[in-house]
Amino acid sequence: MAKKANTVSTNNDVIKSRSQFQEVFHRLLKNKGAVIGMIFLLVLVIIALISPLAFDYETQVIGQNMADRLQGPSAAHWFGTDEYGRDLFARIMWGSRYSLIIGFGAVTIGLVVGTILGAIAGFKGGIWDQLIMRFIDIFYSIPNIMIAVVIVSVLGTSTVNLVIALSFSAATGFCRVVRAAVMTVRDQEYVESSYAMGLPTWKIIAKHILPNCLSPIIVQYTLQVGTTIISASSLSFLGIGVPAPAPEWGALLSGGRSRMRDASYLCVLPGLAILFTVLALNLLGDGLRDALDPKLKK
Amino acid sequence: MANKIILEVDNLTKYFNTPGGLLHAVDGISFKLEEGKTLGVVGESGCGKSTTGRTILKLLQPTSGKIIFDGEDITSYGMKKMRRLRQEMQMIFQDPFSSLDPRQNVMQLISEPIIEHKLLKGRAAIEKRTRELMDIVGLAQRYVNVYPHELDGGRRQRIGIARALAVDPKLIVCDEPVSALDVSIQAQVLNLLKELQREYGLTYIFITHDLSVVKYFSDDIAVMYLGQMVEKAPSDLLFQKPTHPYTKALLSAIPIPTVGKERPQRQLIKGEITSPVNLPDECRFNKRCDFAHDICKKGNPSLKEIAPGHFVACSRVDEFVG
Amino acid sequence: MADLVLDIKDLVVHYETEDADVHAVNGISFQLGKKTTLGLVGETGAGKTTTALSILNLVPNPPGKIKSGSIVLDGVDVLKLSQEELEKVRGNDVAMIFQDPMTALNPVMTVGEQIAESVELHEKVSKQEAMERAKEMLRLVGIAENRAYDYPHQFSGGMKQRVVIAIALACNPKLLIADEPTTALDVTIQAQVLELMKNLIREYDMSMILITHDLGVVAEICDDVAVVYAGRIVEIGTADDIFNHTHHPYTEGLFDSLPNLKERGEELQPIKGLMPDPSNLPPGCSFAPRCPYATDACSKKVPELRPVGGTSSSKHMVACDAYDDPKFCLRRNKDGK
Repeated sequence: MAKKANTVSTNNDVIKSRSQFQEVFHRLLKNKGAVIGMIFLLVLVIIALISPLAFDYETQVIGQNMADRLQGPSAAHWFGTDEYGRDLFARIMWGSRYSLIIGFGAVTIGLVVGTILGAIAGFKGGIWDQLIMRFIDIFYSIPNIMIAVVIVSVLGTSTVNLVIALSFSAATGFCRVVRAAVMTVRDQEYVESSYAMGLPTWKIIAKHILPNCLSPIIVQYTLQVGTTIISASSLSFLGIGVPAPAPEWGALLSGGRSRMRDASYLCVLPGLAILFTVLALNLLGDGLRDALDPKLKK
Repeated sequence: MANKIILEVDNLTKYFNTPGGLLHAVDGISFKLEEGKTLGVVGESGCGKSTTGRTILKLLQPTSGKIIFDGEDITSYGMKKMRRLRQEMQMIFQDPFSSLDPRQNVMQLISEPIIEHKLLKGRAAIEKRTRELMDIVGLAQRYVNVYPHELDGGRRQRIGIARALAVDPKLIVCDEPVSALDVSIQAQVLNLLKELQREYGLTYIFITHDLSVVKYFSDDIAVMYLGQMVEKAPSDLLFQKPTHPYTKALLSAIPIPTVGKERPQRQLIKGEITSPVNLPDECRFNKRCDFAHDICKKGNPSLKEIAPGHFVACSRVDEFVG
Repeated sequence: MADLVLDIKDLVVHYETEDADVHAVNGISFQLGKKTTLGLVGETGAGKTTTALSILNLVPNPPGKIKSGSIVLDGVDVLKLSQEELEKVRGNDVAMIFQDPMTALNPVMTVGEQIAESVELHEKVSKQEAMERAKEMLRLVGIAENRAYDYPHQFSGGMKQRVVIAIALACNPKLLIADEPTTALDVTIQAQVLELMKNLIREYDMSMILITHDLGVVAEICDDVAVVYAGRIVEIGTADDIFNHTHHPYTEGLFDSLPNLKERGEELQPIKGLMPDPSNLPPGCSFAPRCPYATDACSKKVPELRPVGGTSSSKHMVACDAYDDPKFCLRRNKDGK
């Protein structure tokens, strides 16, 4: 035994193999809904990125032009104009920036906070678990919108405050998901094996426990972004979200409400924007869930 | 030939607090282990053999007793102080399906301990050593990028062995290393472990429920029942002259793969292992024992040397020997 | 032969999944006489369990598919029965015991109720009578009657397996299929359960198929033995044939891998390599790549079972073409043991 390793000659037939994530991605591509969702989101991100180049915020997005007010969709104004003569196409395109920033921003903050709390609760257990989870339970028992309303009314209306307000409810969700996942992974033998290897605790959590909790976290993330975009729009609709005249989708919907009869496109188009975005996120989330857990498939 | 004593365990206990009361998982285990030897620890599920292994490695903090490794009393060492010693004491786990992180490939898995203990510097050196370890445990080089879920049980267990070997340990605790494998693969892994012992002078604590495996593998065998050692003897002696009634029953319960030849009389023991919670002060085996007497209810017998190296914990041992 | 309980001919079962077509069983044929116990021996993935499931037409479908073959149970071809007829057969004529007693019992019913349920399903008796029968069964498997009102979680592993056996026997089946019934149990408990099964089979005049990887258990309890490798029977015969007149190289490899026959310190002689991937079997004899006796001819043609003759019983058959050469002899037999 212990033949001297001749790595050069044996390198040729190294088995190419896919990591779990490559395999998941492969499975995900087989799911049509998920692919459609992914493409839609990709397009949306591109729109959000190029809209500052395509439109001038001061003149085209919020600049009023009473001469062109309430024109229906036409070649000049694809989505028509609102009651101040602002081009709805420009406003909806620009609005994707708000929805994406608020959606991903709030959920990302929630992810960080929730994961840390959930990991501590799940890993330490005992009194830490009790304290953190009861605290989370309190937040869970209050409707999300209610919490957001309270926070925004205390801090004042601004995009940043809205993100903070919405991140609270995202964090509670992540905390629960991560705690459950950590508790399962914590008792796996490879974690014990890492202790036997002499790894410090923080490294075990970062390197072995959390990466193996990723599946539920990713699914939770995509689905939560959708929910958060709806919440943000609802708050804007209620007038405590992104302050006017910024073209947040919920605000657009709210603005068009009074013109529902004569200029229904003012409501329908922002509504569709919200609908498709959330649908795309849910399609992707469901696709990811199936791809990450092949056992769910028949 | 008195070899150096590498591990001394003195009156080791590990209790767990459970809702039902104090669970005596390990209750006063003592032994000495010479360098390069193998101690087989045998017993049925729930007898505390795995807990013993994990406590010796300080994966669990002992309730009381002493663990002296290589002349150093490590009983009270914390996580940090133990980290240095992890290079010298390693573990091979039972289940090759759950003891490897599914997100790491073979290269990452085997190189992890090398990197963690800073044994080598530079990527090339680490990779070379990893490939060398793959050779040593008989894992073909082409598996270097493969993830554990793509491999069979035998190969996964080889990865586990390579990980343990990576730090050049002196002592390896093997917790049922072959019981999850098929017979033909089992033999391959057992042969490998034996070869490695010869080559590197490893000391093993071999925990198993399979008596046929320990006989093949161990120098000494300790039989455990409800957290205590009931008999300990050199391997051959234990199989020739099992003395404790439990050992006898355990040996006769092994199904023998021969047909038509004379079969020894079965000694079935009645009942099942009881839970080790709130134990009374009496022989722990007396309720299942065919030879139980009044004396067995009076106090828990301790190990007694009946022949050189042969220890038995039985209140009536003198009658059996005499 | 009127005494046959079971006659399986040329059974082929595949699992068809997205990625691969898994050839689990590739033409297994065997017969089981009345009051005999057949041991089906092999390693993980050899197709033992799939064969057993086929007998009750229980192979999960999809992905499993019984491609061809016939399974005649007591004169009836199981594979041609309707769902309803099958349900009558299951439990009435054939009962099955699975490996894991922990999951085989319903946790919210008392064990008495579970045994009684099985009695009621197959016999027209009142609830009370069924419960009486249940208690009787419990006593038979060595559990006190008053424990009939306990729930499964109040029993230990060995006790649960006894309960499972009681349920299986409650309706007096002609054939009992036991899939690794003692693998999850400790040795001393295994010995108890094996002893119990041995006695019950004798008492009830049942036939049994015992699926196991443990040759020790086979020697303990089986009359006949079939060694399965990669979905085919490579050697079949009486226990005496297989253990004392081993003819297939794979069977020999299995014996050589066992540590308990050896003296301490001696090197084990494991079979080299691994079981082939059942979705990608080698051509010809599936064992050829691992076989120490293999020649080029072995990978050309799938060997048929052939009678061994000589000192063996008339039942002894082996699937190895090396015996084309009349002088061929396994190492194990050469040493003049």
